Amino acid sequence: MFRHLSAVWTARHFLLALVKLDLRLRYKRSVLGIGWSLLHPIAMTVVFTVVFSQLFGDGNPVGYAAFALAGLAVWGFLRDAATLGSKAFLMNEAYIRQSPMPYTIYTLRTVLGQALHSCMALAVVVVLLVVWKGDIGVFVGLALALPGLLLALIAAWAVATIGAFITAFFHDMAHMLEVGAQIGFFLTPIMYRRSILDSRGLGWLVDINPANLYLSVIRDPLLAGMPTGDGLAHLGHLYLSAIAVTAVLVALATGVVGWLHKKVIFHL
Amino acid sequence: MAKIELQNVSVTFNAYQQKRVSLKEYLTNRLFLNSKNPPLRVRALEDINLSARDGDRIGVIGHNGAGKSTLLKTLAGIYPPTLGTREVEGKICSLFDITLGFEFEATGWDNILYRAYLQGETPSSIRGKVDEIAAFSELGDFLNIAVRNYSAGMQMRLAFSIATAINPEVLLVDEVLAVGDLAFLQKAKARMRELMGSARVMVMVAHDLEAVTEMCTSVIWMRHGRIVAQGPPQEIVDRYTAAAMALPPVEPPQPEEMPSPESPAPAETPVLEPTPQHQAA
Repeated sequence: MFRHLSAVWTARHFLLALVKLDLRLRYKRSVLGIGWSLLHPIAMTVVFTVVFSQLFGDGNPVGYAAFALAGLAVWGFLRDAATLGSKAFLMNEAYIRQSPMPYTIYTLRTVLGQALHSCMALAVVVVLLVVWKGDIGVFVGLALALPGLLLALIAAWAVATIGAFITAFFHDMAHMLEVGAQIGFFLTPIMYRRSILDSRGLGWLVDINPANLYLSVIRDPLLAGMPTGDGLAHLGHLYLSAIAVTAVLVALATGVVGWLHKKVIFHL
Repeated sequence: MAKIELQNVSVTFNAYQQKRVSLKEYLTNRLFLNSKNPPLRVRALEDINLSARDGDRIGVIGHNGAGKSTLLKTLAGIYPPTLGTREVEGKICSLFDITLGFEFEATGWDNILYRAYLQGETPSSIRGKVDEIAAFSELGDFLNIAVRNYSAGMQMRLAFSIATAINPEVLLVDEVLAVGDLAFLQKAKARMRELMGSARVMVMVAHDLEAVTEMCTSVIWMRHGRIVAQGPPQEIVDRYTAAAMALPPVEPPQPEEMPSPESPAPAETPVLEPTPQHQAA
């Protein structure tokens, strides 16, 4: 695995140049350009806040807006990294046929691009919270959420890599992931709080949902700001679970790469 | 020191007659119906032994579909050997499929960077070469616009200029390089000769037997994925020519399962990027 990672490091210039290109091309020929990365989740959040803040929120529309926007940003990243990442080998076939670079740089290309895109929406959350709360606790929360972002990035890379290898052999995989993501959106407490499910005895649905772990380790500290003792203990617990799940995903991805990397080129 | 070492290398893979495998195929295969789309076992290379050190210039000859391009791709590390070991030391420059992998929405300048990075350059090492690549391609202001606006010839010019700008230790060349118009072709040929002279090890796939005899120190004759003979250029070329004159045209090797009669015959033009099926045939 370390040899593989060092090969990825060697290819970093190629990788970063393409990530930069993807960001530039995302909104090619649009007047607002990169502004759409911000406007889209903000518009969604405004709509959700108007419609759902009374239903799911605690009566404070600004608090609910930050909650929903952070949820949408993290979920959007996990969804797009998995669904678009699983098509990475098909999209980058020309490079794969030309150069013996490690295949995982092509999934990382997608994952990094999506991560930067989602970070812009998270930056809006931070600004919103700073304006709303007006204290430096927000930055403490942000610092506590950063390792969560890194874990989500690694997990998304692993899932995208597994998905991309399977998609090369079984093209239906990409569509299955899209349907799964649609279902996952409603099963994950993105727009509603998990207490709603807990009160109906459905908390286990959240407990078995790994996407919720990454959502929680990023969103919870960000919204909580300056942490309390109990909050820190809870966050520590969440982090341990997220690290364990990430380790399992990385192990699975390593296994899939080892198993299929010699065969995949003949199936593209 | 640059070196190439292939030991007992075989490349085999399964290909399907139809690219898409249907759900019915998945469900019925191996259960109670015979598959209409059985996997074909393709033996693209079999038991190849090849060794080259500094100064070696190896020519690879053989009929279409003999496995020459597969051999080059295996040397380049793109096709992993199914059996055997591959060892290549030195910076590799592969001159095949060079027009693949343009970012069509990006400008010519940007594509110079992407492809140079793909070939292992770094921002500092490429800095001095970008202008030289641009000058060699003679594309001028066209480099400022997106590559999707380029003609095929212009893409080829740019691709060739970038691919040949690095100083390779191991040079892998597929002879089929149709590079732009006549004037550029002359320039490209001169650059190729220069590259071939400077590379430490070269493996060249060629149909031009004269060029092979002139430029190579040793020649490999391939047939059906195997090496038939290897030795001094003139001797092997003579044997190959005699065999080609004496025998009826060589039938391409067939995969182990025969394609159904309605499936189209694979194309055999060497300029096409071969799909695995094409390579097998």
